[in-house]
Amino acid sequence: MLEARNLRISYGAAPAISGVSLDVADGDLVVVVGPNGAGKTTLINALAGLHRMESGTLKAGGRDISRLPAHRFCDEGIALVPEGRRLFTGMTVRENLELGSYRSAAKARRPDSLRRVLALFPVLDEKLERPAGTLSGGQQQMLAIGRALMACPRVLLLDEPSLGLAPSIVLELFRIIREVNAAGMAILLVEQNVATALDIARRAYVLEEGRIVAEGPPKELASQPHIQRAYLGH
Amino acid sequence: MKPLGVFAAAGVLLAVVPFLGLPAFYESFLYLVFHWAVLATSWNLLSGYSGYFSFGHAAFFGAGVYSTAVLAGKLGWPFLLTLPVAAAVPALLGAALGAVVFRVHALRGELFALITLALMFVFSTIVLNTPIDGGPGVYLSAVAVPAIAPTPSGSFYLMALVLALGTIGIAYAVFHSRFGTGLFAIHDDEDVAEVMGVPTYRYKLAALALSCGLAGLAGGVHGIFVSYVTVGETFSGWMALNVILMAALGGTRHWLGPAVGAAAVTLMTFYFTTSEYAIAGRAAVGLIFIAVILFMPQGLLGRLSRRKSFPRGKTEELSKIKAITTDAILVVRGVSKAFKGVQALDGIELEVRRGEILGLVGPNGSGKSTLINVVSGHYRCDAGSLMFEGRELSGVAPHRIARGGIARTYQIPRPFPHLTVLENVALPPMFGQVVMERRAAESEAWRWLAFTGLENKAERFPADLNLHERKFLELARALASRPKLLFLDEVLSGLTPAEMDEAIRLVRAIREQGATIVFVEHVMRAVMELTDRIVVLTYGRTIAQGTPRDVMRDPLVIDAYLGTAHA
Amino acid sequence: MPSFTLLGQSVLSGVFIGALYGLLGLGLTLSWGLLRQINLAHFALVFLGAYGTYQLTVSAGIDPLLTLVAVAPAFFVFGVALHWLLARFSVTPLNTLLVTFGFMVMIESLIQWIWTADFRRMETPYGDVRWKIGGLYLPLPEVLTLLIAITLAFAVWAVLRHTDLGKAMRAAAEDAPVAAAFGVNEKVLALLLSGLCAAFAAVAGTCLALSHTLAPGQIYAWIGVVFAVVMIGGLGNPLGPLVAGVIVGVSEALTMAITAPAWAPLVSFTLLIAILLIRPGRFE
Repeated sequence: MLEARNLRISYGAAPAISGVSLDVADGDLVVVVGPNGAGKTTLINALAGLHRMESGTLKAGGRDISRLPAHRFCDEGIALVPEGRRLFTGMTVRENLELGSYRSAAKARRPDSLRRVLALFPVLDEKLERPAGTLSGGQQQMLAIGRALMACPRVLLLDEPSLGLAPSIVLELFRIIREVNAAGMAILLVEQNVATALDIARRAYVLEEGRIVAEGPPKELASQPHIQRAYLGH
Repeated sequence: MKPLGVFAAAGVLLAVVPFLGLPAFYESFLYLVFHWAVLATSWNLLSGYSGYFSFGHAAFFGAGVYSTAVLAGKLGWPFLLTLPVAAAVPALLGAALGAVVFRVHALRGELFALITLALMFVFSTIVLNTPIDGGPGVYLSAVAVPAIAPTPSGSFYLMALVLALGTIGIAYAVFHSRFGTGLFAIHDDEDVAEVMGVPTYRYKLAALALSCGLAGLAGGVHGIFVSYVTVGETFSGWMALNVILMAALGGTRHWLGPAVGAAAVTLMTFYFTTSEYAIAGRAAVGLIFIAVILFMPQGLLGRLSRRKSFPRGKTEELSKIKAITTDAILVVRGVSKAFKGVQALDGIELEVRRGEILGLVGPNGSGKSTLINVVSGHYRCDAGSLMFEGRELSGVAPHRIARGGIARTYQIPRPFPHLTVLENVALPPMFGQVVMERRAAESEAWRWLAFTGLENKAERFPADLNLHERKFLELARALASRPKLLFLDEVLSGLTPAEMDEAIRLVRAIREQGATIVFVEHVMRAVMELTDRIVVLTYGRTIAQGTPRDVMRDPLVIDAYLGTAHA
Repeated sequence: MPSFTLLGQSVLSGVFIGALYGLLGLGLTLSWGLLRQINLAHFALVFLGAYGTYQLTVSAGIDPLLTLVAVAPAFFVFGVALHWLLARFSVTPLNTLLVTFGFMVMIESLIQWIWTADFRRMETPYGDVRWKIGGLYLPLPEVLTLLIAITLAFAVWAVLRHTDLGKAMRAAAEDAPVAAAFGVNEKVLALLLSGLCAAFAAVAGTCLALSHTLAPGQIYAWIGVVFAVVMIGGLGNPLGPLVAGVIVGVSEALTMAITAPAWAPLVSFTLLIAILLIRPGRFE
């Protein structure tokens, strides 16, 4: 579904991402783990079209989208749940969800998508007319995911959805992520909660200093001494 | 030549002009140049240096004009005696404005600009409707002007010259002083400046009062110069725009910039408005204004606006100390803080022992950064107490906390972008436990640049540094105030393993020099290697503290920090 | 104490002038609140529009309201170009104030060059019509201005509130990159909005020409009070300037009726300062 080859992205002179290649197959659940500052957010934002890449190619469903402007990525079936949620806080929950289905293809399916999202997150149903900024942290994260699902994507990019949430809510979120994936949606998850992330993933990449230093099935990665020491504290 | 000498020489040379017998026109024209130089330079003291754009300079200029107009024109005071009042009244009005406005955190940028603009209209309405003016304007042609030159125009020329030299001299002095450094830091990042010890509120107030006082002085002279003052001419939005144009054209970050801009604009306006193409001339002024902002946002002197750094001085050896003690340098009891319903800190309990390296760990969003922000005074906690060396920190202004000996770094480096690396590091010692002047502070800064290996970048700007150099700049800046207690907020994140080893070595060296360190970090290897004790936070609560080995075996910690899969 | 009729007429004239404040403020509040562009040139555009209406009406005999068919599209193009320029050089909000000041001076010079600094007054059939209701006079130009101001403000409100396009504009104002990630072409929307704001200046100009005597120097007389109205109304809120404009207009008119006319500016600016001090958060 998503195929990145040799991506390179820089801020000023310093490269943030250099030579990253990564694949997300249809219906896959892939995680990218790595320390703070390794470039995870830069990478996922680039996959969503928010960063111009300097070189490398990005394909979605076989189509080269490396040079598309940001607002066209949505049409290619990519939806982002950004780090820190970044909801439109001055707008209502309903308006945030509607914005998710802004492009015409998604708009045609809006009532249907809305029903599905509200079934997934019943708590949002009660708060549809409230400003998004008044929701609790967990509800905001759910809205951010709901907004992305409204775009009817084929791959969902999730950037640290567990950030600052209580354990019970994190468990609930991961349950929902699994559920969405089980329904056939490909998911790319960037996560610092390494243990949990490796637990649910089918494939994992380890990103350090803007490069992929390891990839493979999570079980294999988790048994590598380097990973154990650096991320699992063993 | 020393700057004082240059000033004196320029003053003497220019003071000769009225005695050359030139036509009065030249004296009057130069009077206007000096007049605008005073207004632009005084405006720049607040607005250029600290970034608080005032659109109401005319309000304070007008307060000066009418102080002199009332005292000399209506009450018959001798002209020179009115000038101190013409300076004092606007200065006091400015201070009163600042005392209210600078307390409101959000009133920055365009909001400050608008409030000063609104104030100008309020002033003008009051003056227009009260006996201060009353409507018809005030005639001042009867006021006697001290004959300090052969002609009246010569006398005005000399007065304006003295005022201009004085104002530029003040701008020069402020530019090179601790005060000026503080204002520049406020311009770049006011919150960081406050946390580094700059008394931002007092500095802004002082700069505003000074700026208003000088504008009032120019007003006092100008009223007599034009000999008939009206509300419409005095309180005009034009003046602020003119002054901003001059400062922007010349360069707001150079002490001489506004004066150069004033000369250029006065000349241009004169040339255009007296020619037969007056209207085209005005359009040209508009076009130049647009071009300057778009293509030369730094102004004519923008490239020159670097302060000379002092040469490296000798510094004494640092004493090496000390064993870890059991007495607590910081005791945190029941500290809570909520943002819009999110409980960031929920009854934090911890103590930091003098001389130790305390590791503060926990998942992202667990409250570590909030805790640092509360201790450094940036946020005020909702409940609980923070005792630093036996004194309560809660409610104390951040710059006082910095002065008490607490320093911090920022996870994402926040250097002052318009100050050089050396100036960045020299700032905290100027406002630290022992107040240093610029020379001593820069010499201290060199030491810490050497310590962090940034010596050869001293004259560069932060934007020229790469990530690890910026991280080390954060470290050098925090160290330069020689804190007793230092918070390091993820100094290792984003570093390569080699850079990380270097940083770990530095942290050790810092401790050997006697500072107590709270080390916030995700890189567990470094935490295990460096720290004497660990405190673990999750969801704003302390869930464990003790030696690294014990804590990392605590099932509660494994569960919270590493995730349920490993419970 | 003035008579009841006089007070009533004062309130009415306050409402009328308030409508004009609101109309002038509409484009300003949208460009400031949604585009982060503080557009001083808006005032000069309003006057350029007013002179355009004046010229087309006087020399070509076109109905003043119909002149908008020519003026508004031209202004739309200017608005688009202005935002393109500001975005191209990534001008900071504060510097947009300075750049647009330059444009204001240039437009003012253009007006002086074409129409001189003399006062101009447009004579139209509109000016002769007025109704008398219960001792109060209702002149047609002012009533028209009020109706246009209300219609336009509510139309913009409805678009921003209830259409996808409007929601996309609000979303892009809050977080442009994320809006783009959901398919909002924020750059084009911003150009469109900037063009619309300039077109609103043309509408305000026509209303101004209907009811006021024009002179280039008057451009500056409106800046202070209209900015106050925009800020009191809340940035980016299309109904704000109208509501605040009427409040300020009425209080000014009452101040004039009860005390002296010259005290009027005190009201709006004291109100503005008070609101800035008490609720600075609403401007963030």
